[in-house]
Amino acid sequence: MKKLLKSKWFIALIVLLVLAACAILSLLPGSPVKKLLQPVQLVTSPAQSLVKKTGDKLSDFWAAITDGIAIREENKALKEQIADLRYHLTQNEEAALRYEELKDALHIKDTFSNYVIYGAAILSRESDEWFSTIRLNAGAADGIVLEEGNSYPVLDVEMNLVGRVIESSDTESRVLPLLHEGFAVAGKVNEVNGATFMIVGDAELKRQGLCLVKGIDPDVNLEPGMEIVTSGDGGLFPEGVPIGVIESVDYSNPLDVKAALKPYSQIGKLEDVFIMIPYVETAEGTAETNAV
Amino acid sequence: MRIFAGDTKARVRKIIVYAVYIILLSSIQVSFPDAFSFAGQTADLVFVFVVLSGYFNGFWDGAVVGLVCGIIRDVFSPPAVIGLDGDVRVTAFIGAFTLFAAGITGASFFTSRMHRNIPFSVVAVIFATFCYKTAGYLIIYGWSTLAGTGSGIYSPFTAFVYSFLPQLLLNTITAVPLILLLRFLGPVSFKGKADKDEIIEQEGEGKWLGI
Repeated sequence: MKKLLKSKWFIALIVLLVLAACAILSLLPGSPVKKLLQPVQLVTSPAQSLVKKTGDKLSDFWAAITDGIAIREENKALKEQIADLRYHLTQNEEAALRYEELKDALHIKDTFSNYVIYGAAILSRESDEWFSTIRLNAGAADGIVLEEGNSYPVLDVEMNLVGRVIESSDTESRVLPLLHEGFAVAGKVNEVNGATFMIVGDAELKRQGLCLVKGIDPDVNLEPGMEIVTSGDGGLFPEGVPIGVIESVDYSNPLDVKAALKPYSQIGKLEDVFIMIPYVETAEGTAETNAV
Repeated sequence: MRIFAGDTKARVRKIIVYAVYIILLSSIQVSFPDAFSFAGQTADLVFVFVVLSGYFNGFWDGAVVGLVCGIIRDVFSPPAVIGLDGDVRVTAFIGAFTLFAAGITGASFFTSRMHRNIPFSVVAVIFATFCYKTAGYLIIYGWSTLAGTGSGIYSPFTAFVYSFLPQLLLNTITAVPLILLLRFLGPVSFKGKADKDEIIEQEGEGKWLGI
């Protein structure tokens, strides 16, 4: 027995069994096992942040050297674009005034008027195809408090869907990206009374940067290039958040029409995102977020 | 434990060098994954580092470095798994399990027969990557079947062509600079020890695959 306890293979087996047990326990709702990692997070997060900042600065410095000509051309194009946009802005100002008048008269609500939007920076991305959650630098201390079974939508700076927050600690939160196999959102074609369906992550399509669209009514004419937005069904995501465009549609099985969707958000290129937290009107008429 | 073996100066050096490498590689892995991605796969710097630490420096180095790197991976980018109730949850300790296993696999892969020579370390990395991918797909297949969801399963052809092969290629390429780092700027000095292979003699390595 003494010999067995000193055997490195026996020790390794025990460690592996303990780690496997901890991994399984961590899947239980409200599991305290994850709290064991908090001290490591306190130590490693600042170090990782420092490495990331250094890498970003080096990358920026290199870009500043190499991108000079490209920046000049881009600047020229942007100046032309600004002139064009100024013209459109002038045209739209009057329309905006009229919209505000009608909005008050018809009680129209803004798309995201029931949400408080928090900005957050991406701290870390996926390590490989399986270790694939994204870490943000906003947590409970910033108002991102998650209750079991709850979740918040995450959008990029152009208000396209990126994923949803599935866990938060005091200083950080974790996002399940749109392409993950466990992700699901109700979507619709971006037109009046557009057809609705489900958009889910799929392992086969993920490597091409695509999502699976399923639950499509065979009578619906879905075509490549159509814009898809959230339908608002289910209550987690507000209606009208852009998700992406249809890449291809497979009508070969009328009972199981499927399509591939190309998301707008390019997670690999994102630096900052927005977390949308719904708020509710209290009895006193003041607004409070669900999270706090 | 043998990771702390040796005189004080060498011990301190070893711990510091390991700490620097672990923090640097773990941070780079999750901060700039696109910089070393190909065909939808990302070179796993930390995984390769752990396997090579075990291969060159012995069982306890592989085990401890693997465990530490794994815990850090669980903090930085833990996997999200669809639970049996259908909800997606962030897990803990899967990274620690994986990298601990990778460390002891690297330490046991024909180390006696090959005297921990440099060229064979690449084979150790390929073998460990093969084991990791195979075990990963088997676990995902089993769990997805249990949870009643098929969205996480690749077809065998896709898994081989678009996951196995690119990952093997990337990890093999990544192994080259990491071998040089560990052998010449690593936590253990190999100066004058290559012929005697003192580490193996001291630690009595390898019964499993240590032929």
